[in-house]
Amino acid sequence: MKRRAQPWLGTLVKISIGDADDVLAAAAFSAAFQQVELVHRLMSFHAADSDLGRINRAPAGSMVDIDPHTYTVLQAAMQVTAASAGLFDPRVAGRLVEWDMLPHSGPALPAYQPQRAAFSLNGEGQLQKLSADWLDLGGIAKGYAVDLAILSLQQSGVRQACVNAGGDLRVIGDSPCEILLRDPASPDNMAYKLSLQNQALATSASYFSLRRTEQGSYSALVNGQTGEPMLDAVSVSVTAESCMLADALTKVVMASGDAKHPCLAQFGAHALII
Amino acid sequence: MMKTHAVAPLLLVSLAGASSAAFATQYLTVEQAQKAIFPEATAFKPATLQLTLEQMQQMEKLAGLPARSAAWRSFSAFKDDKLLGYIVLDDVIGKFELISYAVGLLPDASVRQVEILSYRESHGFEIRSANWRQQFVGKTAASGLSIGNGIANISGATLSCTHVTDGVRRIAALAQVVLKK
Repeated sequence: MKRRAQPWLGTLVKISIGDADDVLAAAAFSAAFQQVELVHRLMSFHAADSDLGRINRAPAGSMVDIDPHTYTVLQAAMQVTAASAGLFDPRVAGRLVEWDMLPHSGPALPAYQPQRAAFSLNGEGQLQKLSADWLDLGGIAKGYAVDLAILSLQQSGVRQACVNAGGDLRVIGDSPCEILLRDPASPDNMAYKLSLQNQALATSASYFSLRRTEQGSYSALVNGQTGEPMLDAVSVSVTAESCMLADALTKVVMASGDAKHPCLAQFGAHALII
Repeated sequence: MMKTHAVAPLLLVSLAGASSAAFATQYLTVEQAQKAIFPEATAFKPATLQLTLEQMQQMEKLAGLPARSAAWRSFSAFKDDKLLGYIVLDDVIGKFELISYAVGLLPDASVRQVEILSYRESHGFEIRSANWRQQFVGKTAASGLSIGNGIANISGATLSCTHVTDGVRRIAALAQVVLKK
């Protein structure tokens, strides 16, 4: 097994390849990390010149040209938002900025209003901004980066691999891969071991981002219907065909507390709450 | 995108009883990192970058972070006589992980590539002891440091790598101050 790791998307992205010689693996790692870098560059909330940065700075009503990758992720985000009646909503960026979980930059921050359409996609690679709401793709883009990296590895001729972007991961190949899940009550311990094959798995929990202040308690996970932080000491893992969907769906399960939320079946996904 | 066919059931095993252990994943040796960052290089010359107090202050100003160390382990990468760039080595301690990494820089001090060399994470009660870093010293995989092969993937809430990105920023400032041609 050959392994590489690089810091991207605010976390460590780890890639392991099981079936390639040194030369093939070196080229495959390089191409796969380039895809992760691309997602980082396009969908970073922090970079003003990313697609997301340009969308957030654009005035309501304007059309914004975006990269096809950003388009794909926003389209999937819209689908999950619709299927979950807004439990997952990239507009929660505004709340994360209020709580200092994301940096404040750009225009004035509108108050969070649940169930509002922030944008539409015109089918020609453009986004129309319908409200001044800011978007954050932190809850879905890591999963998409994993999917792109897996696709890139396959295109390089790799058949056995795992890509793990800070807990959002996907494995391909004939042999199952062993995955450990952190215990949400004490995340330095492992609670479960599971075996994954040709599948994606994403986990969300608030144990690393939870912050208690005199003003209140906050986490990086936001219930899109209420705009309130999700603070329960539980961990939600979702398996799906694509890591992008697994990633987004963890937020639906976390917000609903329902490991059998109807949204899961719609996307061919399964959930586990610890 | 919305495929609905059945997904293989998960094999779920509780890990009750596995109370204290650590993962130590070696991604690249220093030599492998050199080749990964500068594959075209024909020679790597080691050097310790020793900073003066003034240089450390310059570096802190550029990075907006404490300089942390006055001595840094580095390599200059050459293709024959031509300088391709530099590699600077560092390690950082996170919430409960210890990460060693290499930063590849071009002669103009811009960052070319960052590679993680090793990632060590301790689990269980040992992590709570004050000098937990000592846990790693003198231990090897053979001394029972790891669960299984020690390289299983972990899924959980995303662990931020701010300490690595800060470290890269610090090294980029270091390169501006002492390496830039």
